[in-house]
Amino acid sequence: MIRRVFLGNEAIAWGLLKEGVSFATSYPGTPASEILEAVIKFNEEYKLGIFAQWAINEKVAFELALAHSWLGGRSAVSMKQVGLNVALDPLMSAAYTGVKGGFLLISADDPGPYSSQTEQDSRFLAMFAKIPVFDPSSPKEAMDMIKEAFELSERYQIPVMLRPTSWVCHARQGILLEEELKPTSKKLSLEKDLYHWAALPRRRYVLHKELNEKLRSIQKENGFKRISFNGAKKAVVSSGFPFALLMDVLKSLGLEGSVDIYKVDRPFPLSPSLNDELSSYEEILVLEETYPVIELQIPYREKTRGRLDGTVPSQGELKPENILKALHLLLGDFPFEKINDLKEGSPPRLCPGCPHRATFWAIKKAFPQGFFPSDIGCYTLGLEMGAVDAFLCMGAGVSLAEGFYLALKNAGQKIPPICATVGDSTFFHACIPALIDAVNKKAAFVLVILDNATTAMTGGQPTPSNPPKNLRKVEMEEVIKGCGVEFIKVVDPFDYPEMERSLKEAYAFSQEKEAPAVIISRRPCPLFEEKETQKRSFILKLFRENCKSCMLCVSESRCPALEKGQEGLVIHQHLCRGCGLCAFICPNQALILTEF
Amino acid sequence: MEFKIVIAGKGGEGIIFMTRILAEGAFSIGIPVISSEIHGMAQRGGSVISQVKLGKFYSPFIPYGSADFLIATSKEEGERNKIYLKPDGISVVNSPDPSPFHVDASGLAQKINHPKGANLILLGFAINKMGFDEKPFLEAIEKFSPSFLGEKNKKAFLFGFSISKEKSS
Repeated sequence: MIRRVFLGNEAIAWGLLKEGVSFATSYPGTPASEILEAVIKFNEEYKLGIFAQWAINEKVAFELALAHSWLGGRSAVSMKQVGLNVALDPLMSAAYTGVKGGFLLISADDPGPYSSQTEQDSRFLAMFAKIPVFDPSSPKEAMDMIKEAFELSERYQIPVMLRPTSWVCHARQGILLEEELKPTSKKLSLEKDLYHWAALPRRRYVLHKELNEKLRSIQKENGFKRISFNGAKKAVVSSGFPFALLMDVLKSLGLEGSVDIYKVDRPFPLSPSLNDELSSYEEILVLEETYPVIELQIPYREKTRGRLDGTVPSQGELKPENILKALHLLLGDFPFEKINDLKEGSPPRLCPGCPHRATFWAIKKAFPQGFFPSDIGCYTLGLEMGAVDAFLCMGAGVSLAEGFYLALKNAGQKIPPICATVGDSTFFHACIPALIDAVNKKAAFVLVILDNATTAMTGGQPTPSNPPKNLRKVEMEEVIKGCGVEFIKVVDPFDYPEMERSLKEAYAFSQEKEAPAVIISRRPCPLFEEKETQKRSFILKLFRENCKSCMLCVSESRCPALEKGQEGLVIHQHLCRGCGLCAFICPNQALILTEF
Repeated sequence: MEFKIVIAGKGGEGIIFMTRILAEGAFSIGIPVISSEIHGMAQRGGSVISQVKLGKFYSPFIPYGSADFLIATSKEEGERNKIYLKPDGISVVNSPDPSPFHVDASGLAQKINHPKGANLILLGFAINKMGFDEKPFLEAIEKFSPSFLGEKNKKAFLFGFSISKEKSS
């Protein structure tokens, strides 16, 4: 036995490789990012020689993995839940066409939400697409379910979903492994299968019928376990992370035997035999995240408690306190007192030394009356600096800017300077069609692409313009030019006066030519540079005699390394990365950055 | 043996690394471990916690009022997260105030010229209070530190561990 402590996402990666996946791809997004990272790491460590690479977005990733499956190999594609919205088109269709080699879609949900725009439940999208979904409760279980998921996928030639949530992905668990990873080899075969791969609408009806038959057969395979079965009058049905919470809460209350417990491994399609078993209970409590997917498949409305009747809250993640309250409503035979929730802590901020901070500061200076759409990435944190007014989903930074401009123009109203911000990875992911549309429609706004040479928020994955060494680089400037943009300027955000000048210049161009103008604000993210050159060559000094405690450095930069203390400004030296923005902001030469 | 531990601080202070060392060290001596940690946007400079459960548990979550230990990188985060501690739970806090359970990890880290090692000084201090031997945790630090930081990190951990020992004797 090998002892390893695995992050949930590492356990998933191990499970994929143990089951002989030969093609894995993904687009990064919390909480799914470390799955492919770990696949890449294990692939190198064990010299497995599989294809493991990041894709430009989730839709492309899904389609790459499907092609591999159609050739007979086992494929895995991982993404966060909102990423699956982007890949929904191929998913819906692939459910009909079916797969050949086992095909596992991993869609990681984020109840809370901690790092997402929605709390959507991917299991509903599995139901919508009519594919089976597995719902693990721990890293170990996620790893073990992968075997069953691949076997099911191959038995019925159907895509299968594994749906972990944040606290499965980002739990760390000690796991005993039977053996190390070994390379497996399987030959692919390109045999055309027009019946499935090229089905016109009329045959799609037939494929739909076949899909329904597959689901009926899958339903007969149980997909649930009896965990505790003492002939109690009440039962709890649970799946995923809430099951783990439930077991710990019952143990802490000493109530292990007082209620029968069913654990659902496969929430869709739910086995009819589970409903048969549930029919005899007086009351049933359903604990699942985040939407009532299992609950809606239980036909006994009057005696079922859960999200639909308010026993379990309809939003937010489940915590031990929610489980306790739900059990109290079900069993009512233990003391229960409401505990006040944790006070809110300090919100996330842009890191010290972040080049985005400097860009946002310049945008505010250049366009004090501006309107600022943004996008999904670290830079949503520009909100704190007052330089972000709206964001929606990947790519919408550009289309929102275009939409606001066109709407106001069409209404004949005054249009403020519109300046949108998007990151480099986000630009390639979903902004290109929007930018072409904006050129077509003569939308006059400034687009700032925050090019920090990485996908920073999710841990520093490569981008098309900064790919790993063995891949070909795509020049961002060339792509922008190819979209029809005529103003493109690359600026170092730490050259503060130049950035402000360039923004104004871009705005003037956009107004004159009725066209989008693009600034590329280029400077690498210090988080991922640091690993190679972790040396301090500067110190930020405070000259108290000059400081008038105006605190502009704090309020304008919102830098975590600066704080207003009781006796004036405090510099947290261990956080400072020496970008010097605060020294530039200071009107009194009280902050000086010195190199040594 | 069962322990429930909450580690509280701000993103960027090395909370995930502390969690990892605690989990790896404990599992290497045969204690089952499950923990949680925050990645992504929520960790960027904002308040974060990790929860570590040693012993036979299904989930990493710790109900309010039940943690055996709270390790906090500042008084402010220690105060805010006290809600997790059980009545006789112990809170180990990075603070210069005199108390058997306080340690001035930030000040000591400056002293040993390793300002980012404050997290490991604090962890070493707490692990001694839990009654563990230092060896499995030093091995975990050795294994998971970047090569150029291994020695410095081990030194920081041992520094915290020995101060904790002095304070309890």
